Amino acid sequence: MPAPNPIVRLHPPTLLQEIPGIWRGRELAPSKTCSTGYRQLDALLPGGGWPLGALTELIPVTEGIGEVAVLQGALKRLCDAKRHIVFVHPPYIPYAPALLSAGLPLPRVLWIDVSDDENAHWAAEQTLREGAAGAVLLWSQALADRPLRRLQLAAETGESLAFIYRPVATLQNASPAALRIVLRPTVGALGVEVLKARGGHSGAVLLAIGTHV
Amino acid sequence: MLWLCIVSGVQEKHALKALAGWAGQFSSRVFLDTERQLLWLEIGSSLRYFGGLDALVARVASGLKALTLTATTAVAPTVEAAALLAQQPQAPPVLHLNELHAAIAVLPIAHLALLPAAIAGLQASGLCHVGELLTLPRDALARRWGLQVTDYLQRLLGERTDTRIPYRAPQSYHRRFDFAEPVQTVEGLLFPLRRILYELQGYLRGRDAALQALSVAFRHHDHADTALSLRTTDPQRDALRLFALLREKLERTQLPDAVMQIRLDVEHFVALRDTQLHLWDEEQHHDASWAELLDKLRARLGDQAVRRLGLQNDHRPEKAWCVQSEAASVELPPAFPDRPLWLLTPRPVEHLPRLLGKPERIEAGWWSGEDSSRDYYIAQTAEGSRWWLYREAATARWFLQGIWA
Repeated sequence: MPAPNPIVRLHPPTLLQEIPGIWRGRELAPSKTCSTGYRQLDALLPGGGWPLGALTELIPVTEGIGEVAVLQGALKRLCDAKRHIVFVHPPYIPYAPALLSAGLPLPRVLWIDVSDDENAHWAAEQTLREGAAGAVLLWSQALADRPLRRLQLAAETGESLAFIYRPVATLQNASPAALRIVLRPTVGALGVEVLKARGGHSGAVLLAIGTHV
Repeated sequence: MLWLCIVSGVQEKHALKALAGWAGQFSSRVFLDTERQLLWLEIGSSLRYFGGLDALVARVASGLKALTLTATTAVAPTVEAAALLAQQPQAPPVLHLNELHAAIAVLPIAHLALLPAAIAGLQASGLCHVGELLTLPRDALARRWGLQVTDYLQRLLGERTDTRIPYRAPQSYHRRFDFAEPVQTVEGLLFPLRRILYELQGYLRGRDAALQALSVAFRHHDHADTALSLRTTDPQRDALRLFALLREKLERTQLPDAVMQIRLDVEHFVALRDTQLHLWDEEQHHDASWAELLDKLRARLGDQAVRRLGLQNDHRPEKAWCVQSEAASVELPPAFPDRPLWLLTPRPVEHLPRLLGKPERIEAGWWSGEDSSRDYYIAQTAEGSRWWLYREAATARWFLQGIWA
């Protein structure tokens, strides 16, 4: 396991931005966030929402538990602001009628359908770097740390929401992501457990997602 | 009028024409002499637009450098004087006719654009510099050397105007680039590719146009051409951006053999959108970088990987959506039932999970010979996943078709 980066304090702060890979002074709460649409979750996250310009790692313990629905509030907000949502390498077909019911107009959605992690990471990285999209959602099987680090750096160059879905097996490794969250189903709700939050603290909330019937 | 002459070292006729097309960005009046391999641009009327002579000459020079040409240029008030001065390295520009005599008097007679026999004869009669020739009476020159010499001198000095026909760029763009030696590697193709894209950029600027599609073909000896086609989301004319997109494609292309020739073809042109010129607006800025991103993604991943979604008017869930190249603004029919985010190709279910609620009957497609009467249920697995299942009425078999993510 790589040793965690030391917290560096340098002045002026602009200097820090020129040195990639060094954690910035905003070890503190992220400067810009986008509300999740759930008051309890906003209260738990540093800065009061999903961090912009930083990578959020989502680890659902299984699929089909509301792991994307938890983002719906933020994604809809971005679409309303005429920004694009990019699905990179999702495990299945993003179903157009479901996107529309979730308040995501189809011209705002892009689906990158690639066959491997390498191209998926490349596409996500380009999208983040260009800063052209409001949010990038990447599904990745990659276990290594390096591609994640690259994504985190790419996310920092823009002001997009950057989410990466990763398998449970990655939990045993440390993560360079600014925010690391495990998603677990409970009875009639989704458990959102914050494992790591740059500038915040761990904790968990239950959200009323997945309450069919 | 003020003329800028370019001695480019380009010899092939078609390459010189491409260069004349490129030069159209600096002047609406371009003369091309393929025999003398010279190019002239009337720049008197473009000076203000480009911010003065120095700025314009510098623009031309950096443009020629981008084309990897080692060219010399000169500026003079007549076509022939510009050509004469351009044979000297770094001749200072001559702006007015009354300065012309002094500027060319010291130049050797050998540089004049006369037939070799006439030059040899003039030299044999003891003349060395242009200035000496200019002191001789014209009628004596005409008698001795024919009207060719006096006609030339009149045009050189601006006593008579050059009646050339300006070069007219073609309506569609076709450029071929031949290699002296077959090129084996992709790296070897990049330089010439970039160069012909710079030429294209100059041509597009000259026409005040842009493109949304271009095709590049690599010609081999014994194999069919390797063809690349590029389509961009927004009108483009930036050479480096087009180059980056083509390079991405090229590096993912298997060349069956060495390349003998590159061809670049553009059939249609479009107007450049204002949004690309004015990026102050946040939303427009996002739109512009979005278009750029789409092009980049398509170039590397292929058009089919970069997908937009649409609806189709069909009750069968698997037919109710489609992949599109462009996304249209559509809305769901009123009271459309809830649907899962993930759609799956139906897969048989062995162990039926717990079903929640009442079924939704979907009957559609019988007229096309497919009996697809199905009862859809929402179900919850032991792990907590929510599935969208259906029971096929005809066979009573269960299938998983959706997942609520």
